[in-house]
Amino acid sequence: MTVRGRPEHFVSSVTKPDDFDDFWEEVEAGLDAQPFEPELRHIPERSTPEVDVYELHYVSLDGLRIAAWYCRPKPEYLQPPYPGLAVFPGYVSEPTLPKSWAKLGYSAIGAAPRGKLRSNSQYNPGYPGLLVDRITDKNTYAYRGFYADALRVIDVLQALPEVDASRIGVFGGSQGGALSLVTSALRADVVKCAAVSAPYLTGFMDSAALTRSYPYEEINEYLRLYPEREAQVRETVSYFDCLNLAPKITAPMLLYIGLADDICPPETAYALRERLTGDCILHAYEGAGHEAGVYWEMPKVEAFLAEHLQPRTPSKVDTDIPEEW
Amino acid sequence: MASTTTDTTTQWWAGIDDDLSRLPAKPEFTHDALRSSEHFDMYRVRMTSVDNYVIAAWLNIPKGEGPFPAVMYTPTHMSVVTPAPYEFRMRAVTMNVISRGQRGADKPYAAAFPGHLTVDIEDPQRYVQRGVVADTIRAWEVLRDHPKVDPDRMAMIGNDLALLVDERRPGAKAIHVTGSFWYRLPEIAAKTDMYPFEEINDYLRWRPEAKDAVLRTLSLLDPVHQADRIRANVLFHRDQDSPVLDDEWFAPLVGRMQVTPSYLDMTHQGQVDYDAVDAWLSNQIVMEPFPRSWTPEDIGPWSV
Repeated sequence: MTVRGRPEHFVSSVTKPDDFDDFWEEVEAGLDAQPFEPELRHIPERSTPEVDVYELHYVSLDGLRIAAWYCRPKPEYLQPPYPGLAVFPGYVSEPTLPKSWAKLGYSAIGAAPRGKLRSNSQYNPGYPGLLVDRITDKNTYAYRGFYADALRVIDVLQALPEVDASRIGVFGGSQGGALSLVTSALRADVVKCAAVSAPYLTGFMDSAALTRSYPYEEINEYLRLYPEREAQVRETVSYFDCLNLAPKITAPMLLYIGLADDICPPETAYALRERLTGDCILHAYEGAGHEAGVYWEMPKVEAFLAEHLQPRTPSKVDTDIPEEW
Repeated sequence: MASTTTDTTTQWWAGIDDDLSRLPAKPEFTHDALRSSEHFDMYRVRMTSVDNYVIAAWLNIPKGEGPFPAVMYTPTHMSVVTPAPYEFRMRAVTMNVISRGQRGADKPYAAAFPGHLTVDIEDPQRYVQRGVVADTIRAWEVLRDHPKVDPDRMAMIGNDLALLVDERRPGAKAIHVTGSFWYRLPEIAAKTDMYPFEEINDYLRWRPEAKDAVLRTLSLLDPVHQADRIRANVLFHRDQDSPVLDDEWFAPLVGRMQVTPSYLDMTHQGQVDYDAVDAWLSNQIVMEPFPRSWTPEDIGPWSV
């Protein structure tokens, strides 16, 4: 590419397949047919005076058992009910223990979709590798199950008795941002707000053309080796492209990006904003890369989530803790 | 704070050197066509480290005769290791070390995250991170001996584990230290609840009686003790508003170094800082700078 225009003037090449909604209905039917059987195991050695830490397991699409971390305020620190928060991981990072969010008053799940550590005994595509694993068929593509695992996190949050199901939000950057978009779109009746940075899986093929950085570089590598599969690849990823899911999102969104992001090109974030129908606050940082201005943005994220999810603060703690808790 | 004596530290590191010297690296290079391009060839490397553990690396060699400048990325504290940025791979031999426990070197030991920082931490000889530093030194030896590498133009990028490598195997021209990890680690842990440092807090909450043993072990890995052995030009990130990046924080380490380090005063604009590091490193190991920032042009609607 020789000329790169202004990111807000970028015209995406992504088109929506005619059977896009049918495809996702079928995935949802597969999830519905699979009881999620959540199991919580308390981890005292990682708990603190304010926060209880649990290892969470649940069953997802195709019967895979998925792991996650679950952190919630201790009732003596803060009484339930709590707003729920799904914290989604980046592409190469391992799922975080969202202890700091629990300390702020959230029941928070740090998701580990299939392939991440502790969720990789039945499926392990390797890194690099996930982005192009089985990429020539939408029905077997890696992200079909990966997205389903993220959706299940919202289902689990809804089912936890200490969570107020009317106050569930999502948060993540990069791939975590993409999964926040996916869950906001496909659980639009549940997700009340989304804080998203540098969204990945948004304009797959445009991004691969705009960058040579991983993870999108995996697509370039794949097509260097198998150029004849370009049309198949393009078709598959169109079913998973967050640009095609965006119109389903109704929750208010805080979106922040780096205007010099070489990993998830900022152009695709502008294309995303164009396709959103709900409120979207966009903060674009000059000179910022994939970190998307997090140095300045994190206090805004906390304020945004607090505004929409209304966690109680420790100063409002009730001292009268119910015995049954 | 519990710490080790100079003699104990010297002996512990000498033990690592002895263990490495007894085991030949026996590197094996396998070409990876998928991750190669018109600019470079990628190889998956396997090599033997202490405890007879087979570790791995991504080794990337630019097309051409060479020898080339070389950059080693020391292991980060996470499971996944990916190849270096494309722009580096075009210009230099790059090696991304996959130490024991990380994906690609996770048999027989698959590290848990969190968990990898505290496995056998009370016993310095069995502490898993003893193996990790040995793995990194081993990888440096393999890279240094590669025929495509110009040994006078070698650099490291990573946390202060890179300083430990230089203390044991001087030869790097330059080191870009991306952040403190082993340097004053207990103090960092006391200031944060973020992982991986929180692993130390978790451990000491759970086993408070082990505090002295833990601090003694961590002290062995603090680069401050052997800082006078550092010979490379060093670039630190600096932020006078951060208690773990300001001048006061670095003072004990810098005070013992025989070379005067350089500093990148962070703008917190990631790509601006990245390009500044690239310029510094390119100057150190004599290669063309390759900034990743770009200036958009006002051309109206556009697409790819």
